[in-house]
Amino acid sequence: MYEEPYRWVEAVGNRRQYLDEQFKQGSPVVALTYEGGILLTTVSKGTPKLYEIYDRLALGGMGHPTDLEKLRFSLLEMAHVEGFNRSPSDVTGARLVKYGIAPVIKQAFEEVYKAPFIVRILVAELGLKPEKDALLTINYDGTFEETTGCAVLAATPAAQTKMTAYLKEQKPAILSLDQALDLALRAWAIGSLAHQQDESDQRADADPQGSKSGATAGAVPGIDALMEHIRNIAGGRTIECAVLERQAPGSSKYRALKPSDLSRLLPTALQSIVAS
Amino acid sequence: MVIGSPSITVHVLRLTFNEVKMGMQGDFLQLLKEQGYTLSVPAAMGAGHAMTNATTILAFKYRDGVLVAGDRRATAGNMVMYDRTDKVLEIDRHSVMAIAGVPATAYEMVRVLEHSFKYYRRTQLQELSFDGKLRAVSKLLKDNVPAALAGTGAVVPVFAGYDLEQGAAKIFFYDILGAEFEGVEYAVSGSGSPTIRGILHYLNTWGDQPLNQLPQEQAMVQALRLLTSAAEFDSATGGVNREASLYPVIKLITGAGVETVPDTTLKPLYESQVVRYV
Repeated sequence: MYEEPYRWVEAVGNRRQYLDEQFKQGSPVVALTYEGGILLTTVSKGTPKLYEIYDRLALGGMGHPTDLEKLRFSLLEMAHVEGFNRSPSDVTGARLVKYGIAPVIKQAFEEVYKAPFIVRILVAELGLKPEKDALLTINYDGTFEETTGCAVLAATPAAQTKMTAYLKEQKPAILSLDQALDLALRAWAIGSLAHQQDESDQRADADPQGSKSGATAGAVPGIDALMEHIRNIAGGRTIECAVLERQAPGSSKYRALKPSDLSRLLPTALQSIVAS
Repeated sequence: MVIGSPSITVHVLRLTFNEVKMGMQGDFLQLLKEQGYTLSVPAAMGAGHAMTNATTILAFKYRDGVLVAGDRRATAGNMVMYDRTDKVLEIDRHSVMAIAGVPATAYEMVRVLEHSFKYYRRTQLQELSFDGKLRAVSKLLKDNVPAALAGTGAVVPVFAGYDLEQGAAKIFFYDILGAEFEGVEYAVSGSGSPTIRGILHYLNTWGDQPLNQLPQEQAMVQALRLLTSAAEFDSATGGVNREASLYPVIKLITGAGVETVPDTTLKPLYESQVVRYV
């Protein structure tokens, strides 16, 4: 029945709705360039969401862990075979995304008889020079975007816009790793809160008798509110951080930050999370 | 119904096979092979002339870890082809392979190993164990046997590294067929190695202190002396050429990782403790 064009468009529309629903529980991912390289941050529950792909490439993801694993393996395979057959400098994020996984994700999304990939992916690439740093994001339908400076994955487009706007507004020209971590976590909290707000608005719409929550949708919460939110949520979860460091020894530039690194780098308002 | 049942059985078997294959993930060489890669080119019939392993490489344990050193000469017959070869190659942050033999094959092996270890770590989210790394070297040498026997691709490496799990430095040497032997205190390879093998034995047994007690600086001095001795008796081993400020490659592997000793450190050591003006 999907042979009819109208049915097909309808089926893809349904699929979009279904997929949007799947990301509701997802935790945002933030990538930010800082003076020494690129920082990736998220707050994860159970399965890790940040990974090393190649010498200068890192991956952040949202969505179903198994789908993320499948695509992670494809990326790893492509990157390593290419790096071996040609050279490590020929392995670029843009090539892997544009000619590698984005077409695969798009195809899976449009083949309405098969299961789509429930993923949003962020690929961070550390350039030889800071101006060559690149951040790519891919949506579940295969659309990708290339940006510099900062990039985010979030549950809804609205949350994503809020996070990006916050990062653009708050990001100074040069920032150290601890400053970057502070800012990235605040942006994460913006995304997480924006998403909670969406949910409660929806509930409120469904139940007109219920009282609207006090916070107005448009206002950006203050730093204390953001830190409070992280403290509330991060209790049973892990603050996950990874960096691509330009000055790291050897060819692999990826490093996952350990709890000991975090306790040194986290803003004082969040120190208690790591200590406990 | 009866006719249909065998195909179902086959299907189930294939599923099981695929699950087994899942367990093998992280094997980069297998991935390359699936794409049609072969390490060594099958040698032409009758091409069986022996090639010498014209070089000297050595590894010994010292107080802080393991020292690996090699001269820098590459030869073809009696010709010196290149005097700045690096035969002590870093595979990852904690392991080094020193090579004697045909450089084309040896460099290719190092490239395969480097990618294999990284691929394993990144896919499996844990470091390949030290034993796993040793086994990977063995497997490559085994794949290379036809070329080694034909005389076009023999490689006799020394693999040294720091086993982080056990907190110990380790040295292994191989024959061209891939058999692996643990060099408890030291290992040597290449045409200049017979000369220094005896010296290492003597030093370790009757020296002022066993090699594994030597502090870093003394270990470097001994390495320079050993390579100078090898160059004295082996034309295919390049010694130190001070005019061209050409020093051997010396790498130190400790718990902190691999460190290449810069020429600026080797120069004063060589001048004060190796040169004899008789």
